[in-house]
Amino acid sequence: MRISDRRFALYLMTPAALFLAVFVAYPLFRLVADSFFKISPIAGGPRDFVGFQNYVTAFTSEAFTNAGWRTLAYTLVVVTLEFALGLGMALLFTTLGKKSQIWRTVFLYPLMIAPIVAGLLWKFLMIDNFGLIGTLLHQAGILSDPNQIGWLSDPNIVLFSVAIPDIWLTTSFMCLVLFAGLQNIPGDLLEAARLDGARAPALLFRIILPLLRPVIAVALVVRGIDAARAFDTILIQTNGGPQSASETMSLLIYRTMIRFGDPGLASAMGTIYLLAMLAIAFVAVATIWRPGKDN
Amino acid sequence: MSNASLATKPEQPSSNVSTTEPPMRRRRGVNREGLEAGRRSTRTILWILLAAAMVLYGFPFLYLLFTSFKTPIDTIAVPPTILPREWTLENYTNALGRSGVVASFINSIQTAVISTVLSLVLAVPAAYGITRYKTPSGQVFIMAALVTRMVPPVAIGIPLASMMASVGLADTPIALSIAHTTISLPLSIWLMSSFFESVPRDLEEAATVDGCSRLGALWRVVIPVVSGGIAVTAIFAFLASWNEFLFALLMTAIRSQTTPVVIANFQTQFGLDWGSMTALAAVYSIPVILLTLLLQRKIVAGMTLGAVKG
Repeated sequence: MRISDRRFALYLMTPAALFLAVFVAYPLFRLVADSFFKISPIAGGPRDFVGFQNYVTAFTSEAFTNAGWRTLAYTLVVVTLEFALGLGMALLFTTLGKKSQIWRTVFLYPLMIAPIVAGLLWKFLMIDNFGLIGTLLHQAGILSDPNQIGWLSDPNIVLFSVAIPDIWLTTSFMCLVLFAGLQNIPGDLLEAARLDGARAPALLFRIILPLLRPVIAVALVVRGIDAARAFDTILIQTNGGPQSASETMSLLIYRTMIRFGDPGLASAMGTIYLLAMLAIAFVAVATIWRPGKDN
Repeated sequence: MSNASLATKPEQPSSNVSTTEPPMRRRRGVNREGLEAGRRSTRTILWILLAAAMVLYGFPFLYLLFTSFKTPIDTIAVPPTILPREWTLENYTNALGRSGVVASFINSIQTAVISTVLSLVLAVPAAYGITRYKTPSGQVFIMAALVTRMVPPVAIGIPLASMMASVGLADTPIALSIAHTTISLPLSIWLMSSFFESVPRDLEEAATVDGCSRLGALWRVVIPVVSGGIAVTAIFAFLASWNEFLFALLMTAIRSQTTPVVIANFQTQFGLDWGSMTALAAVYSIPVILLTLLLQRKIVAGMTLGAVKG
């Protein structure tokens, strides 16, 4: 009976496992294999084994290391701001209680919007000349000229500008997850702390945040992985420019493959990128989340 | 992962609540006695704060909508206006009249539907196998599904495209929906696992005692109970495919192009036709926004579970 149960479970899982093996694991294997070859972009063209040459090229190329740092900076900016805003909104909704429910729902709407549309939308708001944000800031007397800030054309700030749609899209997600977590903090605990004279900052930092820790950890890791893979919003806003100032890893790999026609090098970059993501995610999960401690 | 998901399940009190003071359970949560603001003046300020946040948050999409009703020249007027000077449907007729736009909608729908069905057909039995019979292989499998989430689409897009080409599926909705399923399947497995987790075991046991086979019990007893969960999972799988761009860009040419690719192409192919772009973006987004707002309660529950697990 035991064994047949086991076998039955295995049969149930097999189709999905096969699917993932064929359409995720095998392409990944191909990716790693390709990274050792110099491949002609033309179908059926020559394919020469070059050992670790592509990896050497990747690590010595400035474009690659810069893209790596940019991806890291982008991810940190996105996740930090999202977390701060999401927590703020979650606390606001919680303090307002039941009556805010309908607004909580409305607040979720960006999650349904395609990233490509969000990128487009914000590009339209930030673009030079007819962008609304510059104009409004000018009309409010904050900027002397509507084009004073080149949101998407100034290489020094573009990496932050392209992050805005991503933050706008998924702050709702952070808020939702943190809000759900807040609902499980016992009210009596907060009441007791308050009677003991704890003020709002102490309540937040000493009680709420520590209790939310597992939820926060999962939300940060999930969002961090997504932000590090950001592609759509950046491609539509700047295509990595100006002067590659917003070229993150996904974009660089895409361009190396499609525009510069070097699938071997792109595969090496992709392999490094994937390994780095796995390593960082693993460390993040192990340190902040501390799994396996079921209470 | 289990304690984390517990902490965010709205229906389920976390363990420390129930142990500290069982009689207070009904009033658990930060609401009511903890964080909820008491004083009238504080509450008024908070409501104003919320209103400001909602306006700021809702404005970008409203501006897209307003812009889509402007005349094509007014869309790029300097300085821009918020409301259209003259309301017109010109951008809509222009956008939908472009060759390939209507076809791309059909492609998007086809791809998303195939991908949703595929995800469910694979995820429902797998999730059931994982949650009902806690075998070691099941645990390995669910962790492997989690790792799959970290794979950047840009890394597997090209090998996938060439695989599809070698079996004659290049540039078809089927190929793209398979690619999209690599994204939605792990998520669907996590979601369905948490829904199966909440079904009492006695239910199938009773069915098997009554002479049902295990497969029969799953099909006739368990599936109907989790049909709400299946619906939520379906919506997520559908949305993942509907909004996906990178695989669509890498794997489709003219025949099977989905709307996100067409929206992006407006930028290069036709110069900068902002009016048509905003109109098409609105047409593409509004149905899913409305659908999800209508089904919001179920979706919120699913999103918190899926978010925390997947």
